[in-house]
Amino acid sequence: MAVHEDSNPHKKKSSDALDEIPTFNVENMQNNTRVINYSRTFMSIIGGVIAGILGFTGLMGFIFYFLVMAITTVGLAAKTGFAVHSYFDSWNRIVLDGILGGLLSFVLFWTFAYDIVHIF
Amino acid sequence: MAEDLVLDTAIRDWVLIPLSVVMVLIGVLRYFVSKLIRSDQVPDIKIVKEGQVIIRARNLRAAANFIPAKSFRARRHYYSNEENGLLHVPKGQAQNPQAQMFSDPNMAMDMMKKNLSMIIPQTLTFAWVNFFFSGFVAAKIPFPLTQRFRAMLQNGIDLSTVDVSYVSSRSWYFLNLFGLRGLFSLILGEDNATDDAQRMMQMGGFGFDPTRSLGAEKDGLDIVQHDWALPKFEQRAVAVLKKLS
Repeated sequence: MAVHEDSNPHKKKSSDALDEIPTFNVENMQNNTRVINYSRTFMSIIGGVIAGILGFTGLMGFIFYFLVMAITTVGLAAKTGFAVHSYFDSWNRIVLDGILGGLLSFVLFWTFAYDIVHIF
Repeated sequence: MAEDLVLDTAIRDWVLIPLSVVMVLIGVLRYFVSKLIRSDQVPDIKIVKEGQVIIRARNLRAAANFIPAKSFRARRHYYSNEENGLLHVPKGQAQNPQAQMFSDPNMAMDMMKKNLSMIIPQTLTFAWVNFFFSGFVAAKIPFPLTQRFRAMLQNGIDLSTVDVSYVSSRSWYFLNLFGLRGLFSLILGEDNATDDAQRMMQMGGFGFDPTRSLGAEKDGLDIVQHDWALPKFEQRAVAVLKKLS
C-alpha cells in the first residue's frame, strides 16, 4: 500500500462543519481523483503479476482482481483517515472509480506472468 | 481440445517478451516524438476570451451562495442579459466551426501531425509483428472463453480445433496495445499521447463550437437558485466552537 501518493499536501479543506453547503476546490478534487486512478492502475498491474505468478486461472483470477481492488479501496479510505467526505464528494469515487479501467491492464499482466511462469 | 499444447520456450524468449518490451518502448518513443513535433500555436484571442468568460461565469455559479442576493443578481445580469451580456451570443453570429477549421491551415496541420504520430508507429509495429511472428500460438490466457472470441484472439491461425484461450502473436499484439495504456499513464504521466480514447474525444470535440458552450453556461447561470449562506454562518460558528470546547 505504498502507492497512495503523498504528493498531495493541499487536499480539500475539511468540510465537517459545513455539511449543508458543499464547499470544495475543483482542482484539488481532480488531483485526488487522479491519485485514485494512479493507485488503481498500479494495483491492477501488480495484482496481475501476482495472480499470474501464483497461477490463478479462470474465475479465480477475477475474484483475486476484485479482492485487490477491495483492498485498495480500504487502503485509500485509510489514507483519508476514514473521513472520505473531506477529500471526495461521495463514497462512489473511492469505491468504484477506475475499477473497470484497470481490468484490461490486469488481464494483460496476468496473462503475461502466467505464460512466462506456467505455460512454457 | 482437451490436452494442453506444449509451447516452445523459444517462443517465450523470442516472441512473447520481446514483443511486450518493444510495445512499451515504442509507446515511450511515440510519447517523446509527439512531444517534439507538437507546435505551439498562438491561440486565437477571441477563443481565449470566450474561454475566460466561461470560467468566470462558472466560478460565479459555484460560489453563488457566498455573496448577497443583490450582488449575485447584478453579476448574473452582467453575464447573461439579452443585450450586451458577456454570455449572450446574438443569433446569426455563430461561426461555423467547419469553415473555421478550413480557414486555418495550422489547425488541420496540427491534427494531421497528431494523427500521424499515432498511426505510423502502430502500422509499423503491426507490419513487423505480422512479418516475423505470424502464424503461431504465442500465449495462453488463463481463463476460458467462448468460441466467439476465436476471431479476436486467434487472428492469423486458421485452426478450429485449438482451444480458444490460446492466443496468436498478432492478437497478443492487440492485447498489448490496449492493456499497456494503464502502464503508460503510470510511467509517462496522465496526459501522455498514447491515450487513444482521449484522442478520439479531442477529435470529436475538435470543431467545437464556443458559442454553444457559452449558451450552455448562460442557461446554467439562469437556473441557479440563489441562497445566501452567510446568515446561517453564525449558528454554524457557534456549533463548531461548542464542539471544540
